[in-house]
Amino acid sequence: MSAAVTRGRGTRPGRLRRLAGRVGLYASVLVLISPAAFVFLWMLSLALKNEVDNMAFPPVFIPHGPTFANFVKVFAENDFLSYTINSVVVSFSATAAALVIGVPAGYGIAKAKAMRAAALILIARITPGLSFIIPLFLMFQWFGMLGTLTPLVITHLVITVPLVVWIMIGFFEGLPGELEEAALVDGATIWQAFRHVALPLARPGITVATILAFIFSWNNFLFGIVLAGRTTRTLPVAVYNVLTFEQISWGPLAAAALVVTAPVLLLTLLMQKEIVAGLTAGGVKGG
Amino acid sequence: MIRRRTILQGSAGLLAMPAIVSRANAASSFDWKQFKGQHIEVSLTKNPRSDVLQKHQKEFEAMTGISVGSEQIPEQQQRPKAALEMASGHPSFDVLMVSLHVSKRLFGSAHWLEDMRPYLANPQLTAPDYDFADIGAGAVKTATQADGRMDSLPLNPDLWIIFWNKAIFKAAGLAYPSSMDELLTTARHLTDKKTGTYGFVGRGLKNANLPVYTSWLLGQDQLTVTPDGKKLLTDTPEAIWAADFYAKTMRECAPPGSIGFNWNECQTSFAQGKIGMWLDGVGFSAPLIDPKASKIVHDVGFAVVPKGPKAQHSASFVDSMGIPASSKKKGAAYLYCQWATSKKIMGEILRTGSGTPARLSVYTDPNVVKDNKFGKEWLQAVMDSQKISAPGLPEIIPVTEFRDTFGVALTNMISGADPAKEMKRATAEFQPILDKSNAG
Amino acid sequence: MSATTAAAVGLARRRANYARRYWVFAVPAAVVVVAVIIFPWLFTVFMSLHEWDPSHGLSWVGLSNYATLLSDTRFGWAVLRTLYFSVLSVGAPLILGVAAAVCFNQRFPLRGVARTIFILPMMATPVAIALVWSMMFHPQLGVLNYILTSLGLPPSTWTYAANTVIPTLAMVETWQWTPLVMLIVLGGLASLPQDPYEAARIDGASGWQSFRHITLPLLWPFIIVAAVIRTIDALKSFDVIYVITQGGPGTASETMNIFLYQEAFAYYKLGYASAVTLVFFALIVVISLVMLKLRQREKWQ
Repeated sequence: MSAAVTRGRGTRPGRLRRLAGRVGLYASVLVLISPAAFVFLWMLSLALKNEVDNMAFPPVFIPHGPTFANFVKVFAENDFLSYTINSVVVSFSATAAALVIGVPAGYGIAKAKAMRAAALILIARITPGLSFIIPLFLMFQWFGMLGTLTPLVITHLVITVPLVVWIMIGFFEGLPGELEEAALVDGATIWQAFRHVALPLARPGITVATILAFIFSWNNFLFGIVLAGRTTRTLPVAVYNVLTFEQISWGPLAAAALVVTAPVLLLTLLMQKEIVAGLTAGGVKGG
Repeated sequence: MIRRRTILQGSAGLLAMPAIVSRANAASSFDWKQFKGQHIEVSLTKNPRSDVLQKHQKEFEAMTGISVGSEQIPEQQQRPKAALEMASGHPSFDVLMVSLHVSKRLFGSAHWLEDMRPYLANPQLTAPDYDFADIGAGAVKTATQADGRMDSLPLNPDLWIIFWNKAIFKAAGLAYPSSMDELLTTARHLTDKKTGTYGFVGRGLKNANLPVYTSWLLGQDQLTVTPDGKKLLTDTPEAIWAADFYAKTMRECAPPGSIGFNWNECQTSFAQGKIGMWLDGVGFSAPLIDPKASKIVHDVGFAVVPKGPKAQHSASFVDSMGIPASSKKKGAAYLYCQWATSKKIMGEILRTGSGTPARLSVYTDPNVVKDNKFGKEWLQAVMDSQKISAPGLPEIIPVTEFRDTFGVALTNMISGADPAKEMKRATAEFQPILDKSNAG
Repeated sequence: MSATTAAAVGLARRRANYARRYWVFAVPAAVVVVAVIIFPWLFTVFMSLHEWDPSHGLSWVGLSNYATLLSDTRFGWAVLRTLYFSVLSVGAPLILGVAAAVCFNQRFPLRGVARTIFILPMMATPVAIALVWSMMFHPQLGVLNYILTSLGLPPSTWTYAANTVIPTLAMVETWQWTPLVMLIVLGGLASLPQDPYEAARIDGASGWQSFRHITLPLLWPFIIVAAVIRTIDALKSFDVIYVITQGGPGTASETMNIFLYQEAFAYYKLGYASAVTLVFFALIVVISLVMLKLRQREKWQ
């Protein structure tokens, strides 16, 4: 609870001031969320209108008789189903692999205070993504892996591993060490202390790491441009390809955009408590 | 080269063996089934021609027994991906749609694509009714490299024409201009900023805007580079006239924001009925007569680019079909290229308004012409443009840099920079890049 | 993400027991990082000393790519543009993010829903939202100009003019990433001690005064962390710019990352592009380090 709310309770002018404060707060919140709400609603509106309404000026805001023709068109003209499967496979695999190697790494680094190792991982965060593309392309070709989803999964580790490690370092550092120390004194190995004591306690952290790794892997566009081929294309690349139909197509374009981003938006809506708690908790320990 | 060809012919012969039975009925006819059972990957650029190829792909598969995996990628993505894959020696495709206006010299100097001439000369691989001589000489010349190799089969020269809105002209009591100068005065007359009506629109976006400029330059009967590809001609009085013309039309007669317009923004504006004339590739015709996308279905006119001070030309950009030299299924890939450039497919491309194919016979084929949904005027504009077509971009290796450098100069002019200064600056900037590429 | 904060703090807390043995846990991750990250790094360094062209292959050129870089005005402009873009798209989200965090730190009905809507932009697929924004920016048919003119304001040229394109792109970036700043600062607000506020209230300080003199200084470390993360991301921004303008009009929005893309994937100058990558990387590292140093100093005071 912040100071602004507790201040000036009781007296008459205080009550008035408090009322004004409430109104101001609601107005501010409205101003803050309306750009976000507007863009997504406009996207929905474009996706549900026919082309004539989409091109109309002044714009038509609420579709009269919403049409699903744009979605039908997008799925009919593009193999969106297989792109969706590709995206799901790539993002799930890259997230799962990142958890398997990233959670213990986060633990190890947190406990060993091995900040050099952490810095190494930070390099991945700082390096421009473009610079990975050509060398990795050549490397995958050398190993004969192109044409499968494996190169994409491996490349997506560039996004997911640092993310998971960073989040887990934060969580493991926040855990009280006493329980593990007690376990170690009782003769447990450090692996057992990790597996049976630290890991269950870090579950909220793992949840956040999973969600965020999945979302950022899903959203990745850059790696797919060069590394994905006809049968391995992921959704963000596919939606960009819809753009270049040699005709006016705002409706199908918005529909395609919506198809790509809907899963992550839904995930955010469902898991908002965990995401907010996780991200802010990471920050709490920053002070 | 020679060895590869011999192997190819040998294996083709072997593969043809089981097919003899199926051939027995039509002894003299060409064996389309000689590569039955093979699988090829086809990499296409995103355009209406590719739509036609994909729509009829099943017919090719049924005819040849070859299975095909094909995809369309936006040209800007397909180009680097194809180059990277061919440079590393293991392309993921067996057939490539090539944008000759950008990639010709690069692919040619790297010898990434197979020479098509031996294939054409081989009666075992080329059907007797293919009729290569039917393909327009201009397109063949564009597909032929300086050393005489023809490393792809021309498919479609995209011709630049003027789309014009007859209703706007009628309301103003004006006729379609007969010269470039008249085009400018007409466009000025039609422009009324109060009502949001503009006389002209063309691409202003860097790189994409170059063909608009070269269209005007061709009116001076001049190209951007000397025929040997060594010296820029972009600071001559003619080149500066064209730049000035570009700047005037875009500054005075085009809607605000045209500096960021590519074809799709131009098309969107034009289809709304607020633009008098739009200069762009004829391949963008279809949506204009589609009631779902266009408000000017009955008002749109198609016309040849008017004559300039010295000449009348239509800038053209040729797409072709090639086979990577490192493909392992060249025979099957060649059959696909042959089918894609056949009379039937090219006829279909013209009939559906998906392009203006390189074969001359399709324009007089009654089946194609009779069904044409664009009408006589469109067909006439296409045929007339075909006769006066000229390359819209220089045949040099660093085409993309050329387009970027001069594209920036052109956008600067729209914002008010002096055309002569900009052209001289861009010429000075680009000549060393060209020299370096020629020396390398 | 904000966990960086926590990680950095780990530096401060020292517990040496078992330290060596915990290394084992990091081995698999280290192997993956080395394989996926170090190889491209070595390759980039190697390539930056070479020139590649399709007909001749590789040739050694020493440091000449770097020399070219120094005199390349287009690169120079790209650096300046990147800095301009970054200042806008770090500054605006910081101010708005702190304001939003203060709002969302209070209790009010439907707070959860409002907060979720607010964080949607940072979760949405960048390509998808960039496409929607580009449709909204259309100068004649875009909904944004309609809104402006209905409010009696003049229409904007958005991404269609050289002088408005960078602020417009920074606006999209702000729209997208203010939520991240908000979340980090929200975490900071939750950890603030209550005593100073009590004292200030007794002294009769106004809401603004206690925000200015108590909240803000206490939040400073969080703001710096948010600023560093935001700076790294803004310098590297690619998807949104590539999809909306591809660096145009002209080269008006050609940031370093877009320049890099052009050199490598449009001009095939792989050697030169590699040199650009390394310089670009060095620039990001230097800027982040300077900002982190600022944070260290704050902490000591």
